[in-house]
Amino acid sequence: MRNLFNFILRNSHWLVAILLVAFSFYLVFTHNSYQRSVYLTSANNVSGWFYTTTNNVASFFLLKKSNDQLLERNALLEKELYGFQVLLDSLTAPDSVEVIAFAPDSIATPQFDFIPAGVVNLSYSGVNNFITLNKGSSHGIKPDMGVISQRGVVGVVANVSTHFSVVIPVINPKFRLSARLKNSENYGSISWDGGDIRQAQLQDLPKHEVFHKGDTVLTSFSRIFPKNLIIGFVTDTGKSKDDNFNTFNVQLATNFYTLQDVLVIKDRFYDEQQTLEETLQQ
Amino acid sequence: MKISYLYEIVLFIFLVLLQVLLLNRISLFGIATPVLYLYFLLKLPMGRNFFYVIISGFLLGLTIDVFLNTPGMNAAATTIVAACRKSFMDLFFEKEEYDDFVPGIYTASGPFIRFTILTVVSHLTLLFFIESFTLFNLQATLLRIFASSVISILLIFAIDSFISKRKRGEQL
Repeated sequence: MRNLFNFILRNSHWLVAILLVAFSFYLVFTHNSYQRSVYLTSANNVSGWFYTTTNNVASFFLLKKSNDQLLERNALLEKELYGFQVLLDSLTAPDSVEVIAFAPDSIATPQFDFIPAGVVNLSYSGVNNFITLNKGSSHGIKPDMGVISQRGVVGVVANVSTHFSVVIPVINPKFRLSARLKNSENYGSISWDGGDIRQAQLQDLPKHEVFHKGDTVLTSFSRIFPKNLIIGFVTDTGKSKDDNFNTFNVQLATNFYTLQDVLVIKDRFYDEQQTLEETLQQ
Repeated sequence: MKISYLYEIVLFIFLVLLQVLLLNRISLFGIATPVLYLYFLLKLPMGRNFFYVIISGFLLGLTIDVFLNTPGMNAAATTIVAACRKSFMDLFFEKEEYDDFVPGIYTASGPFIRFTILTVVSHLTLLFFIESFTLFNLQATLLRIFASSVISILLIFAIDSFISKRKRGEQL
Protein backbone atom coordinates (compact mmCIF):
# COMPACT_ATOMS: atom_id res chain seq x y z
CA MET A 1 0.00 0.00 0.00
CA ARG A 2 2.79 2.35 0.94
CA ASN A 3 4.55 1.47 -2.28
CA LEU A 4 1.42 2.39 -4.19
CA PHE A 5 1.22 5.77 -2.46
CA ASN A 6 4.89 6.36 -3.12
CA PHE A 7 4.41 5.47 -6.75
CA ILE A 8 1.48 7.85 -7.08
CA LEU A 9 3.37 10.61 -5.29
CA ARG A 10 6.48 10.17 -7.40
CA ASN A 11 4.51 10.20 -10.63
CA SER A 12 1.84 12.69 -9.65
CA HIS A 13 2.92 15.15 -12.33
CA TRP A 14 2.32 12.56 -15.04
CA LEU A 15 -1.05 11.82 -13.46
CA VAL A 16 -2.01 15.49 -13.66
CA ALA A 17 -0.83 15.59 -17.27
CA ILE A 18 -2.90 12.55 -18.19
CA LEU A 19 -5.96 13.95 -16.43
CA LEU A 20 -5.68 17.28 -18.25
CA VAL A 21 -5.22 15.56 -21.61
CA ALA A 22 -8.19 13.30 -20.88
CA PHE A 23 -10.29 16.33 -20.03
CA SER A 24 -9.24 18.02 -23.29
CA PHE A 25 -10.21 14.96 -25.30
CA TYR A 26 -13.50 14.82 -23.44
CA LEU A 27 -14.11 18.37 -24.69
CA VAL A 28 -13.12 17.38 -28.24
CA PHE A 29 -15.48 14.44 -28.42
CA THR A 30 -18.47 15.94 -26.64
CA HIS A 31 -18.10 18.99 -28.85
CA ASN A 32 -21.51 19.02 -30.44
CA SER A 33 -22.47 22.06 -32.41
CA TYR A 34 -26.01 22.04 -31.08
CA GLN A 35 -25.57 21.35 -27.39
CA ARG A 36 -22.25 22.74 -26.29
CA SER A 37 -22.18 25.45 -23.71
CA VAL A 38 -21.82 29.04 -24.67
CA TYR A 39 -18.98 29.65 -22.21
CA LEU A 40 -16.34 27.73 -24.12
CA THR A 41 -17.03 29.39 -27.46
CA SER A 42 -16.47 32.76 -28.98
CA ALA A 43 -20.05 33.69 -28.07
CA ASN A 44 -19.06 34.37 -24.48
CA ASN A 45 -18.80 37.95 -23.36
CA VAL A 46 -15.03 38.27 -22.98
CA SER A 47 -13.99 36.89 -26.34
CA GLY A 48 -17.03 38.50 -27.93
CA TRP A 49 -15.91 41.86 -26.64
CA PHE A 50 -12.38 41.39 -28.02
CA TYR A 51 -13.69 40.41 -31.41
CA THR A 52 -16.14 43.32 -31.51
CA THR A 53 -13.41 45.81 -30.69
CA THR A 54 -10.95 44.57 -33.28
CA ASN A 55 -13.70 44.31 -35.84
CA ASN A 56 -14.62 47.93 -35.25
CA VAL A 57 -11.09 48.85 -36.22
CA ALA A 58 -10.91 46.45 -39.15
CA SER A 59 -14.28 47.43 -40.60
CA PHE A 60 -13.09 51.02 -40.76
CA PHE A 61 -10.61 50.03 -43.45
CA LEU A 62 -13.33 48.27 -45.42
CA LEU A 63 -15.67 51.26 -45.31
CA LYS A 64 -15.00 52.33 -48.86
CA LYS A 65 -15.73 48.90 -50.26
CA SER A 66 -18.89 48.48 -48.16
CA ASN A 67 -19.98 51.90 -49.29
CA ASP A 68 -19.56 50.94 -52.93
CA GLN A 69 -21.53 47.77 -52.38
CA LEU A 70 -24.31 49.68 -50.64
CA LEU A 71 -24.46 52.18 -53.47
CA GLU A 72 -24.63 49.37 -55.98
CA ARG A 73 -27.40 47.70 -54.00
CA ASN A 74 -29.16 51.02 -53.61
CA ALA A 75 -29.07 51.58 -57.34
CA LEU A 76 -30.54 48.15 -57.94
CA LEU A 77 -33.37 48.74 -55.48
CA GLU A 78 -33.97 52.16 -56.96
CA LYS A 79 -34.33 50.59 -60.37
CA GLU A 80 -36.72 47.96 -59.06
CA LEU A 81 -38.72 50.59 -57.25
CA TYR A 82 -39.02 52.54 -60.46
CA GLY A 83 -40.21 49.43 -62.27
CA PHE A 84 -42.85 48.78 -59.65
CA GLN A 85 -43.87 52.41 -59.67
CA VAL A 86 -44.50 52.20 -63.38
CA LEU A 87 -46.43 48.98 -62.91
CA LEU A 88 -48.44 50.47 -60.08
CA ASP A 89 -49.24 53.54 -62.13
CA SER A 90 -50.47 51.43 -65.00
CA LEU A 91 -52.59 49.29 -62.68
CA THR A 92 -54.12 52.20 -60.81
CA ALA A 93 -54.63 54.24 -63.93
CA PRO A 94 -57.80 56.27 -63.76
CA ASP A 95 -60.51 53.70 -64.05
CA SER A 96 -64.12 54.14 -63.38
CA VAL A 97 -64.55 50.60 -62.14
CA GLU A 98 -62.57 49.93 -58.99
CA VAL A 99 -62.24 46.33 -57.94
CA ILE A 100 -62.05 46.06 -54.20
CA ALA A 101 -62.65 42.34 -54.00
CA PHE A 102 -58.93 41.67 -54.52
CA ALA A 103 -57.71 44.13 -51.95
CA PRO A 104 -54.64 42.74 -50.20
CA ASP A 105 -55.04 41.48 -46.65
CA SER A 106 -53.52 44.12 -44.47
CA ILE A 107 -53.27 41.86 -41.40
CA ALA A 108 -51.15 39.13 -43.00
CA THR A 109 -47.43 39.45 -42.32
CA PRO A 110 -44.88 37.71 -44.54
CA GLN A 111 -43.57 34.32 -43.47
CA PHE A 112 -39.97 35.40 -43.37
CA ASP A 113 -38.53 38.25 -41.42
CA PHE A 114 -34.88 39.33 -41.64
CA ILE A 115 -32.70 40.46 -38.76
CA PRO A 116 -29.61 42.36 -39.95
CA ALA A 117 -26.40 41.48 -38.09
CA GLY A 118 -22.71 42.26 -38.39
CA VAL A 119 -19.87 39.75 -38.55
CA VAL A 120 -17.49 40.30 -35.63
CA ASN A 121 -15.29 37.30 -36.25
CA LEU A 122 -14.82 34.82 -39.01
CA SER A 123 -12.36 31.97 -39.23
CA TYR A 124 -11.42 30.35 -42.51
CA SER A 125 -7.87 29.16 -41.97
CA GLY A 126 -8.67 25.78 -40.48
CA VAL A 127 -11.20 23.05 -40.99
CA ASN A 128 -13.57 24.03 -38.18
CA ASN A 129 -14.69 27.33 -39.59
CA PHE A 130 -17.32 29.45 -37.90
CA ILE A 131 -18.68 32.99 -37.85
CA THR A 132 -19.51 35.10 -34.80
CA LEU A 133 -22.32 37.66 -35.17
CA ASN A 134 -22.95 40.71 -33.00
CA LYS A 135 -26.62 39.91 -32.33
CA GLY A 136 -27.96 37.30 -29.94
CA SER A 137 -31.05 36.03 -28.17
CA SER A 138 -31.96 39.56 -27.03
CA HIS A 139 -32.45 40.45 -30.71
CA GLY A 140 -34.60 37.40 -31.33
CA ILE A 141 -31.97 35.05 -32.76
CA LYS A 142 -32.37 31.36 -31.97
CA PRO A 143 -30.34 28.27 -32.87
CA ASP A 144 -31.17 26.69 -36.27
CA MET A 145 -32.02 29.96 -37.96
CA GLY A 146 -30.63 30.43 -41.46
CA VAL A 147 -28.13 33.17 -42.27
CA ILE A 148 -27.72 34.78 -45.70
CA SER A 149 -25.67 37.59 -47.18
CA GLN A 150 -26.63 39.99 -49.93
CA ARG A 151 -25.38 37.49 -52.47
CA GLY A 152 -26.36 34.10 -51.11
CA VAL A 153 -26.47 31.48 -48.38
CA VAL A 154 -24.00 31.87 -45.50
CA GLY A 155 -24.83 29.27 -42.85
CA VAL A 156 -26.93 28.19 -39.89
CA VAL A 157 -26.96 29.61 -36.34
CA ALA A 158 -25.55 27.02 -33.91
CA ASN A 159 -25.08 28.81 -30.60
CA VAL A 160 -26.66 31.88 -29.11
CA SER A 161 -25.79 33.99 -26.08
CA THR A 162 -27.49 37.24 -25.06
CA HIS A 163 -25.54 39.50 -27.41
CA PHE A 164 -23.66 37.18 -29.75
CA SER A 165 -24.30 34.13 -31.86
CA VAL A 166 -22.09 31.57 -33.58
CA VAL A 167 -22.88 30.46 -37.12
CA ILE A 168 -21.74 27.26 -38.81
CA PRO A 169 -21.04 28.43 -42.37
CA VAL A 170 -21.23 26.51 -45.65
CA ILE A 171 -17.44 26.18 -45.41
CA ASN A 172 -17.57 23.81 -42.44
CA PRO A 173 -17.60 20.02 -42.96
CA LYS A 174 -20.57 19.74 -40.59
CA PHE A 175 -22.75 21.83 -42.87
CA ARG A 176 -25.29 20.04 -45.07
CA LEU A 177 -28.01 21.55 -47.18
CA SER A 178 -30.20 20.13 -49.91
CA ALA A 179 -29.79 21.97 -53.17
CA ARG A 180 -30.76 21.77 -56.81
CA LEU A 181 -29.80 23.22 -60.17
CA LYS A 182 -32.00 26.05 -61.34
CA ASN A 183 -33.27 24.29 -64.44
CA SER A 184 -34.20 21.00 -62.79
CA GLU A 185 -36.14 19.59 -59.87
CA ASN A 186 -33.70 16.84 -58.83
CA TYR A 187 -31.99 17.68 -55.64
CA GLY A 188 -28.62 16.79 -54.15
CA SER A 189 -26.74 17.99 -51.11
CA ILE A 190 -24.20 20.76 -50.66
CA SER A 191 -21.17 20.13 -48.47
CA TRP A 192 -17.60 21.38 -48.20
CA ASP A 193 -14.52 19.19 -48.61
CA GLY A 194 -12.11 21.21 -46.48
CA GLY A 195 -10.22 22.73 -49.38
CA ASP A 196 -10.81 26.08 -51.04
CA ILE A 197 -13.25 28.31 -49.15
CA ARG A 198 -14.58 29.77 -52.39
CA GLN A 199 -15.83 26.36 -53.47
CA ALA A 200 -18.29 23.79 -52.14
CA GLN A 201 -19.42 20.48 -53.58
CA LEU A 202 -22.88 19.56 -54.79
CA GLN A 203 -23.23 15.80 -54.42
CA ASP A 204 -25.69 13.05 -55.20
CA LEU A 205 -27.22 14.50 -58.33
CA PRO A 206 -28.43 11.81 -60.77
CA LYS A 207 -26.04 11.07 -63.62
CA HIS A 208 -28.56 11.95 -66.32
CA GLU A 209 -28.86 15.48 -65.03
CA VAL A 210 -28.04 17.97 -67.79
CA PHE A 211 -25.84 20.82 -66.68
CA HIS A 212 -23.81 23.67 -68.05
CA LYS A 213 -20.91 25.56 -66.61
CA GLY A 214 -22.23 28.58 -64.70
CA ASP A 215 -25.59 27.01 -63.81
CA THR A 216 -27.12 28.52 -60.71
CA VAL A 217 -27.42 26.29 -57.62
CA LEU A 218 -30.46 27.05 -55.44
CA THR A 219 -31.70 25.82 -52.09
CA SER A 220 -34.24 23.03 -52.24
CA PHE A 221 -36.42 21.66 -49.43
CA SER A 222 -35.16 22.98 -46.15
CA ARG A 223 -36.68 23.84 -42.84
CA ILE A 224 -34.11 26.57 -42.38
CA PHE A 225 -33.87 28.42 -45.68
CA PRO A 226 -36.64 29.64 -47.98
CA LYS A 227 -36.77 27.86 -51.32
CA ASN A 228 -34.78 29.17 -54.31
CA LEU A 229 -32.08 31.11 -52.50
CA ILE A 230 -28.84 31.29 -54.46
CA ILE A 231 -26.00 29.14 -53.10
CA GLY A 232 -23.52 29.40 -55.94
CA PHE A 233 -22.65 28.55 -59.53
CA VAL A 234 -21.43 25.29 -61.06
CA THR A 235 -17.80 25.48 -62.19
CA ASP A 236 -17.01 21.90 -63.19
CA THR A 237 -17.61 18.25 -62.35
CA GLY A 238 -15.74 17.03 -59.30
CA LYS A 239 -14.69 13.63 -58.02
CA SER A 240 -17.68 11.38 -57.45
CA LYS A 241 -17.83 8.59 -54.87
CA ASP A 242 -20.57 6.74 -56.69
CA ASP A 243 -20.92 5.92 -60.39
CA ASN A 244 -24.63 6.62 -60.42
CA PHE A 245 -24.31 10.15 -59.16
CA ASN A 246 -22.56 13.31 -60.23
CA THR A 247 -20.62 15.66 -58.02
CA PHE A 248 -20.18 19.27 -59.05
CA ASN A 249 -17.79 21.89 -57.80
CA VAL A 250 -19.80 24.96 -56.95
CA GLN A 251 -18.38 28.43 -56.67
CA LEU A 252 -20.09 29.94 -53.62
CA ALA A 253 -22.06 33.13 -54.18
CA THR A 254 -20.99 34.46 -50.77
CA ASN A 255 -17.43 35.71 -50.56
CA PHE A 256 -16.29 34.67 -47.09
CA TYR A 257 -13.06 36.65 -47.33
CA THR A 258 -14.88 39.97 -47.22
CA LEU A 259 -18.12 39.07 -45.44
CA GLN A 260 -19.23 42.00 -43.25
CA ASP A 261 -23.02 42.17 -43.04
CA VAL A 262 -25.51 39.33 -42.97
CA LEU A 263 -29.23 38.77 -42.53
CA VAL A 264 -30.62 36.19 -40.12
CA ILE A 265 -33.83 34.58 -41.36
CA LYS A 266 -36.68 34.43 -38.91
CA ASP A 267 -39.34 31.98 -40.05
CA ARG A 268 -42.67 32.64 -38.39
CA PHE A 269 -43.90 29.11 -39.10
CA TYR A 270 -40.73 27.27 -38.06
CA ASP A 271 -42.10 26.04 -34.73
CA GLU A 272 -45.44 25.13 -36.23
CA GLN A 273 -43.86 23.06 -39.00
CA GLN A 274 -41.47 21.35 -36.66
CA THR A 275 -44.16 20.41 -34.13
CA LEU A 276 -46.34 19.04 -36.89
CA GLU A 277 -43.53 16.96 -38.34
CA GLU A 278 -42.56 15.63 -34.95
CA THR A 279 -46.06 14.41 -34.22
CA LEU A 280 -45.79 12.17 -37.27
CA GLN A 281 -42.49 10.70 -36.22
CA GLN A 282 -43.81 9.57 -32.87
CA MET B 1 11.96 35.84 -9.87
CA LYS B 2 8.72 37.76 -9.40
CA ILE B 3 9.44 39.92 -12.44
CA SER B 4 9.88 36.73 -14.41
CA TYR B 5 6.33 35.60 -13.52
CA LEU B 6 4.92 38.98 -14.44
CA TYR B 7 6.79 38.85 -17.74
CA GLU B 8 5.33 35.41 -18.40
CA ILE B 9 1.75 36.58 -17.77
CA VAL B 10 2.22 39.50 -20.16
CA LEU B 11 3.76 37.18 -22.75
CA PHE B 12 0.82 34.75 -22.31
CA ILE B 13 -1.79 37.44 -22.97
CA PHE B 14 0.18 38.97 -25.83
CA LEU B 15 0.64 35.63 -27.59
CA VAL B 16 -3.04 34.64 -27.19
CA LEU B 17 -4.24 37.94 -28.65
CA LEU B 18 -1.68 37.84 -31.45
CA GLN B 19 -2.74 34.31 -32.33
CA VAL B 20 -6.51 34.77 -32.32
CA LEU B 21 -6.76 38.30 -33.64
CA LEU B 22 -4.10 38.20 -36.32
CA LEU B 23 -2.33 34.93 -37.07
CA ASN B 24 -5.40 32.70 -37.25
CA ARG B 25 -6.81 34.86 -39.99
CA ILE B 26 -3.79 34.13 -42.13
CA SER B 27 -4.01 31.16 -44.42
CA LEU B 28 -1.10 31.14 -46.86
CA PHE B 29 -2.04 29.27 -50.05
CA GLY B 30 -5.00 27.93 -48.10
CA ILE B 31 -2.80 25.50 -46.15
CA ALA B 32 -0.25 27.26 -43.94
CA THR B 33 -1.37 28.97 -40.74
CA PRO B 34 1.32 30.31 -38.40
CA VAL B 35 0.97 29.01 -34.83
CA LEU B 36 3.02 31.21 -32.56
CA TYR B 37 1.48 30.75 -29.10
CA LEU B 38 3.75 27.78 -28.38
CA TYR B 39 6.58 30.29 -28.02
CA PHE B 40 5.37 30.72 -24.43
CA LEU B 41 6.34 27.12 -23.57
CA LEU B 42 9.68 27.44 -25.33
CA LYS B 43 10.67 30.50 -23.33
CA LEU B 44 9.86 29.25 -19.81
CA PRO B 45 12.96 28.92 -17.62
CA MET B 46 14.31 25.43 -18.04
CA GLY B 47 14.14 24.37 -14.42
CA ARG B 48 10.55 25.51 -14.00
CA ASN B 49 8.26 23.27 -11.95
CA PHE B 50 6.58 20.51 -13.95
CA PHE B 51 3.08 21.37 -12.64
CA TYR B 52 3.55 24.99 -13.58
CA VAL B 53 4.56 24.06 -17.12
CA ILE B 54 1.71 21.59 -17.62
CA ILE B 55 -1.04 23.72 -16.14
CA SER B 56 0.05 26.87 -17.94
CA GLY B 57 0.25 24.84 -21.16
CA PHE B 58 -3.26 23.53 -20.62
CA LEU B 59 -4.63 27.01 -19.83
CA LEU B 60 -2.88 28.42 -22.89
CA GLY B 61 -4.46 25.80 -25.16
CA LEU B 62 -7.87 26.20 -23.55
CA THR B 63 -7.81 29.99 -23.94
CA ILE B 64 -6.97 29.62 -27.61
CA ASP B 65 -9.78 27.05 -27.93
CA VAL B 66 -12.33 29.39 -26.40
CA PHE B 67 -11.52 32.04 -28.98
CA LEU B 68 -11.35 29.68 -31.93
CA ASN B 69 -14.42 27.55 -31.08
CA THR B 70 -12.47 24.32 -31.04
CA PRO B 71 -13.05 23.03 -27.49
CA GLY B 72 -10.25 20.74 -26.38
CA MET B 73 -8.17 20.53 -29.57
CA ASN B 74 -5.47 23.08 -28.83
CA ALA B 75 -5.69 22.23 -25.11
CA ALA B 76 -4.96 18.54 -25.73
CA ALA B 77 -2.05 19.16 -28.10
CA THR B 78 -0.46 21.84 -25.92
CA THR B 79 -0.78 19.80 -22.71
CA ILE B 80 0.89 16.78 -24.31
CA VAL B 81 3.71 18.94 -25.63
CA ALA B 82 4.10 20.62 -22.23
CA ALA B 83 4.37 17.19 -20.60
CA CYS B 84 7.05 16.14 -23.09
CA ARG B 85 8.96 19.41 -22.76
CA LYS B 86 11.39 18.08 -20.16
CA SER B 87 12.23 14.97 -22.18
CA PHE B 88 12.77 17.11 -25.28
CA MET B 89 15.10 19.42 -23.37
CA ASP B 90 17.11 16.46 -22.05
CA LEU B 91 17.78 15.51 -25.67
CA PHE B 92 19.41 18.79 -26.65
CA PHE B 93 20.62 20.76 -23.62
CA GLU B 94 23.39 20.10 -21.11
CA LYS B 95 22.00 19.19 -17.70
CA GLU B 96 24.06 21.91 -15.98
CA GLU B 97 22.29 24.58 -17.95
CA TYR B 98 19.00 24.08 -16.11
CA ASP B 99 17.22 26.15 -13.43
CA ASP B 100 16.71 29.78 -14.32
CA PHE B 101 18.29 29.53 -17.75
CA VAL B 102 15.95 30.73 -20.53
CA PRO B 103 16.95 29.24 -23.88
CA GLY B 104 17.16 31.68 -26.78
CA ILE B 105 18.48 31.87 -30.30
CA TYR B 106 21.54 33.89 -29.20
CA THR B 107 22.26 32.22 -25.86
CA ALA B 108 22.06 28.63 -27.12
CA SER B 109 21.60 28.69 -30.88
CA GLY B 110 22.08 25.05 -31.90
CA PRO B 111 20.17 23.33 -29.09
CA PHE B 112 17.43 25.96 -29.10
CA ILE B 113 16.84 25.60 -32.85
CA ARG B 114 16.63 21.81 -32.64
CA PHE B 115 14.43 21.99 -29.53
CA THR B 116 12.06 24.47 -31.25
CA ILE B 117 11.78 22.39 -34.41
CA LEU B 118 10.98 19.20 -32.48
CA THR B 119 8.45 20.93 -30.21
CA VAL B 120 6.62 22.80 -32.96
CA VAL B 121 6.47 19.84 -35.34
CA SER B 122 5.13 17.49 -32.67
CA HIS B 123 2.63 20.09 -31.50
CA LEU B 124 1.26 20.80 -34.99
CA THR B 125 1.19 17.10 -35.86
CA LEU B 126 -0.95 16.43 -32.79
CA LEU B 127 -3.10 19.47 -33.40
CA PHE B 128 -3.89 18.75 -37.05
CA PHE B 129 -4.52 15.05 -36.45
CA ILE B 130 -6.91 15.81 -33.60
CA GLU B 131 -8.59 18.36 -35.85
CA SER B 132 -8.92 15.89 -38.70
CA PHE B 133 -11.05 13.54 -36.62
CA THR B 134 -13.89 15.46 -38.16
CA LEU B 135 -12.57 15.35 -41.70
CA PHE B 136 -10.01 12.79 -42.66
CA ASN B 137 -7.81 13.56 -45.60
CA LEU B 138 -4.28 12.28 -44.95
CA GLN B 139 -2.52 14.02 -47.81
CA ALA B 140 -4.04 17.41 -47.05
CA THR B 141 -3.35 17.01 -43.33
CA LEU B 142 0.33 16.15 -43.88
CA LEU B 143 0.72 19.06 -46.25
CA ARG B 144 -0.84 21.42 -43.73
CA ILE B 145 1.40 20.12 -40.95
CA PHE B 146 4.51 20.64 -43.08
CA ALA B 147 3.60 24.08 -44.37
CA SER B 148 2.38 25.38 -41.02
CA SER B 149 5.44 24.04 -39.21
CA VAL B 150 7.83 25.77 -41.57
CA ILE B 151 6.13 29.13 -41.30
CA SER B 152 5.64 28.84 -37.50
CA ILE B 153 9.27 27.91 -36.86
CA LEU B 154 10.54 30.77 -39.02
CA LEU B 155 8.24 33.18 -37.23
CA ILE B 156 9.36 31.95 -33.79
CA PHE B 157 13.03 32.46 -34.70
CA ALA B 158 12.31 35.92 -36.04
CA ILE B 159 10.39 36.97 -32.92
CA ASP B 160 13.01 35.44 -30.64
CA SER B 161 15.93 37.13 -32.32
CA PHE B 162 14.05 40.41 -32.04
CA ILE B 163 13.21 40.04 -28.34
CA SER B 164 16.58 38.56 -27.33
CA LYS B 165 18.53 41.23 -29.18
CA ARG B 166 16.73 43.99 -27.35
CA LYS B 167 17.28 42.30 -24.02
CA ARG B 168 20.95 41.81 -24.72
CA GLY B 169 21.23 45.44 -25.71
CA GLU B 170 19.73 46.51 -22.39
CA GLN B 171 22.24 44.46 -20.46
CA LEU B 172 25.23 45.92 -22.23
